[in-house]
Amino acid sequence: MNSEAIFEKINGEIKDKILEAAIAAPRRISVKVERGQLLSVLAYLKDQLQFTHLATISGVDLGENFEVIYHLSNDTTTILLRILTPRAEPKIPSVCQVIPGAILYERELQDMFGLLVENIPDPRRLLLCDDWPQGQYPLRKDWKFDRPAEIIPGGK
Amino acid sequence: MEFKVSLGPQHPALHEALSLRMTLEGEIIRDADLKLGYSHRGIEKLAEERTFTQNIYLTERICGICSHSHTTCFVQGVEQLMELIPARRGLYIRTLIAELERVHSHLLWLGVAGQEAGFESFFMYTWRDREVVMDILDWITGNRVHYAMNTFGGVRRDIDELQKKKILDSLDLLTKRTEYYLSIGANEPTFVNRLAGVGKLSREDAIALCAVGPTLRASGVPMDVRKDDPYAVYNEIPFEVCTADSCDVLGRTVVRVKELIQSYKMIEFLLKNLPDGPFKVKAPRKVKPNEVYSRYEAPRGENVHYIKSNGSDKPERLKVRAPTLANYPATIKMLKNGFIADIPLIFAAIDPCICCAERLVQLDNPGSGESKVLSFSQLRTMANDHYKKVNLMKKEAVWPF
Repeated sequence: MNSEAIFEKINGEIKDKILEAAIAAPRRISVKVERGQLLSVLAYLKDQLQFTHLATISGVDLGENFEVIYHLSNDTTTILLRILTPRAEPKIPSVCQVIPGAILYERELQDMFGLLVENIPDPRRLLLCDDWPQGQYPLRKDWKFDRPAEIIPGGK
Repeated sequence: MEFKVSLGPQHPALHEALSLRMTLEGEIIRDADLKLGYSHRGIEKLAEERTFTQNIYLTERICGICSHSHTTCFVQGVEQLMELIPARRGLYIRTLIAELERVHSHLLWLGVAGQEAGFESFFMYTWRDREVVMDILDWITGNRVHYAMNTFGGVRRDIDELQKKKILDSLDLLTKRTEYYLSIGANEPTFVNRLAGVGKLSREDAIALCAVGPTLRASGVPMDVRKDDPYAVYNEIPFEVCTADSCDVLGRTVVRVKELIQSYKMIEFLLKNLPDGPFKVKAPRKVKPNEVYSRYEAPRGENVHYIKSNGSDKPERLKVRAPTLANYPATIKMLKNGFIADIPLIFAAIDPCICCAERLVQLDNPGSGESKVLSFSQLRTMANDHYKKVNLMKKEAVWPF
C-alpha cells in the first residue's frame, strides 16, 4: 500500500479521531491528534496499517506548548503522529502498552523536556546523571548553560 | 540463590562506557538492566546554537565509525528544507563513501565478533582486510575516519580515473576474502557452535521492541531503509536486502557478511556508472521555516534525524536517534535466560556504539550484605577523604638516585 492509499484510509476510517492529516513530502504523512486519542490512533495504525516500527519520539519546545512527535514507519511510508501538550501541565500518555520498544524514548523525553509520561513502566532517569538538579530540563528553549569561569590553581 | 552483578562502565569486555546490572541465578542471567549516559555530550542542544554548515561537522562527530551516516542523514534533510537538488555526481560519490563505510564497519564488526568468540586469527584477518578499505577512504577523502566529504548540494571532493581504478582493483581482493569468511561463518564447526543459538530474538520480539538493522534482519524481517525509503541514488542501484531466519548471533554474522558482498557489487556499479558533470551545486545560507524527517541505513541500522528550521541559518531543533539506542530494548531481551559468558558476544552482535549516560554506584558490604547507593559527588568526597587519611608511603620515600 503506498502513502496515497494510506492517506485515503486514514482520512476515511478515523477521520473523527484526528485533527488534521496531510502528505508533507513523498512517503511522509503528518497526522495531528488530540492527547486523549493518541493511544487509539496508534493502535489503529499498528494493527490495521502495519505501522509497527516506532523510530523515535521527538520533543519540540514551542513556547506555550510542547509538541511531541511519534515517528512511525512501515515498509512504504513514515507517519509523523503529533500531539500538543501545554507547558503548564506537560503530561503525555505512555505508549508502551501498544509499542513496548518506546520505553527508552519516553524516558529520554522525561529527562530532557520534563514531560510527565503517565503509566510509564520504568520512570527512572536515562541520560542525565544522578546528581543532576531537579527541575532542570536541558532541551527546553529557556534552559541555558553558563560555563563556570575557569580558575587555574595557583594562576593569576 | 539469586545475586546481582554489575558489569561496567569500565570493563575489559566492553569497548565503551556502559553499565549493565544483572540478576544471576548460578550462571544464568534472569534479569538485566542498562544504565546509559556515560558519554552524553549534549549534541542536540549544541546544534541549536550552530549554523547549518557548522552542524555538518558537528554531526560528523556523533560517531567515529559511522561518521558519514550522520552527516548524510543531516545533509539530505537540510537539502530538502532548502529545496535544493544536489548534483548527481555528488550523490553518486556520497553513496560510494556510504558503501565503503559500511564495508569498513562490517569488517571491523566481524573482527570483534571473532575476538569475542575466541577466534582470534579471524580478528587478525578481517582487520587486515579492513586496512584496504581504510586506505581507499584515506586516498579519496583525505581522512581515515572523519571523511568530511558531505556538503549541501553534493560533496566536497571529486574522484578521478586513477582513484576509480584503484578502488576497482581492491574490490577483487576484498570479494575473494569475504567469500572465504562466508564459508567460515557457515561451515567452521568451532565458530558455528559458539555462535548458534546465542542471543535469541524472535521475529515478534524484534518487531515489538523496534529493533533495527542487521539485528532485525537476522530475525527474518526484511526492513532496510535503502529499499523502503530510498535516499541518494539507492533507487537506481540493484541490490538485495540480506536476511537470516536463525534469530541468533550466527544469523547476525551471516547477514553482515552477505551485506559486504552486496556492498562490493554496489561500489562496482557506482564507479562504472558515475555520471559526468559538477559534483556540487551552490546552496543558500538561510532555510525557510519547515521540518523534515530524514532516514538513513547506517551500518548498524536505521539512523534518524528530525530537523526543524525557523527561517534563520540555525536549526530550531535537531533530533538524532542513532541505531544502537533502538537496539537496547532488544539486547535486554536477548540477554535474559542466557549465560553470563555470552554477554560480550550478545553485546558485540548489535555492534554497539555508545553515546548515552548516567552515574550511580551501588556498594554491597560483603560482611553484612547491606547495600548503599551513593551519587557520584558523594563517592568523590569519600575517595578524597580516604586519600587524605592514608599515609602514602611514596611521600616519605627517598628517591634512590
